[in-house]
Amino acid sequence: MLTAEQNDELTQVEAGTPMGEVLRRYWYPVAFTRELNEFPVKRVELLGEFFALWRSPSGRLGIVPEACPHRKASLAYGVVEADGIRCPYHGWVFDADGECTEQPAERENTAFQNRVKAQAGKVEEMGGLIWAYIGPMPAPELPRFDTYVMEGFRDIGWADLPCNYVQIMENAVDPHHVEFLHGRYFEFVGRHEGFTAPASFGKEHVKIGFTPFEWGIIKRRVLKGASEENDDWKVGHPLVFPYNMRVGGGGIHQMQIRVPINRTTTRFILYTVHSPDGYEHVEQPVIPDYEIPVYDKDGRHVTNYVEGQDIMAWVTQGAITDRTTEHLGRSDIGIAMLRKMFREQMDVVADGGDPLGTIREPHERIDLPCEKDKFHAGGAQFALDFCDMGSTRFSPMLDTIKKIHISAADKIAVEKAAADS
Amino acid sequence: MIGRTAGPAMVDRRFAADAEAHRRDAPRFCPRCGGGLGGAGIVTEFWEADDRRFYCWCGGCGWAGEVTPSGPGVVGHEPEH
Repeated sequence: MLTAEQNDELTQVEAGTPMGEVLRRYWYPVAFTRELNEFPVKRVELLGEFFALWRSPSGRLGIVPEACPHRKASLAYGVVEADGIRCPYHGWVFDADGECTEQPAERENTAFQNRVKAQAGKVEEMGGLIWAYIGPMPAPELPRFDTYVMEGFRDIGWADLPCNYVQIMENAVDPHHVEFLHGRYFEFVGRHEGFTAPASFGKEHVKIGFTPFEWGIIKRRVLKGASEENDDWKVGHPLVFPYNMRVGGGGIHQMQIRVPINRTTTRFILYTVHSPDGYEHVEQPVIPDYEIPVYDKDGRHVTNYVEGQDIMAWVTQGAITDRTTEHLGRSDIGIAMLRKMFREQMDVVADGGDPLGTIREPHERIDLPCEKDKFHAGGAQFALDFCDMGSTRFSPMLDTIKKIHISAADKIAVEKAAADS
Repeated sequence: MIGRTAGPAMVDRRFAADAEAHRRDAPRFCPRCGGGLGGAGIVTEFWEADDRRFYCWCGGCGWAGEVTPSGPGVVGHEPEH
């Protein structure tokens, strides 16, 4: 339970608010690479502001606020040219640094151009996603987290959800929900819809723990029948501050991304890499993306898959959940820890510092701690349950992905048999 | 449509008294430095059995800890012996 003022502060995303200023210190995925291949300019909403994102024919990426500094027409309808984006209304051109390089109807060699800089952000491509930074300069480095740069077969599921991102992030430090939302509730839905829910998700929690680290919070659990020696406790998996969670198991590596589009809309992205032991490289000229269902035709949440259950729980809390009348228990202590972390980082930014999880050193890859033997369920079985019972069931690549896991498991089994004989 | 929501959630009137009790009882000042917890810190209330607990963090000095109101009485314990 919080006061209304604290709830308000925690959930803000707008520029000039303490939390909005924290959020503007990070890079966000704002498009799929294939989108700008299909059409070179896109209107983007991020943190409650609109932008024009483009890629020039030479491959240079740019992002500027949507409204042209001249008379506010949308640059998202602009003409993409060799050296920038040209406003469709009167032809002013802005380059990727935001400099106004042409004002066709004005006299040349005046200082007027210098008065109308478009406050450009930074843009990079990584792992089939276009990433943008719209905060104060100099921009930190784009963190090259392991999932985006590792070898493996990729797909990207997504949905736009009508709720604030903080309640989604609170779910990332709430281990207990798994045994009920993805365990008992899943069984209930399965009983009525005629399928068998995966048993591993219903295992009882014996102990939970949370450890702050340089990228956020590591979440740990001991499930019934396991011990602190199992991966779920010994390794755990991280909430990657402020808007991601890294999960995995059974040769699957996933970053769950929750982009604050605005205060009450969050783009939920499941960036998944299938890379089981024994994986053999499969060419992917384009990384496929697919929308996952939120509602059925009657407007009810689709809850017969894992992420659909999460989405139901997040969205039904309300657009901005009312934390003045919630009733947390001791089992929610990870949520209290996360709120403290958000509040701490507001002070860090207000004092002029770089918040948690920003990096300024160039780097090749950041490996995040993440359990491999998830729910001690066995690698290939966990992977197949993940495919059939999670959002991957909606992937256009489902058959390919299942074949990848099965053939990798077969290959390892053959190698093991040969080594044993 | 059942699932769709828009705008901030309505205040849940069933628990208005709990919200008021939180506003009344949540610690206002850091036990270490005396700084205010409302603006520069954060106080999250949770329950553990019959106890109301306040997980506090002070932005002034960095202190974090739990405060548990005890009421007028105190309860001891008697280890097995």
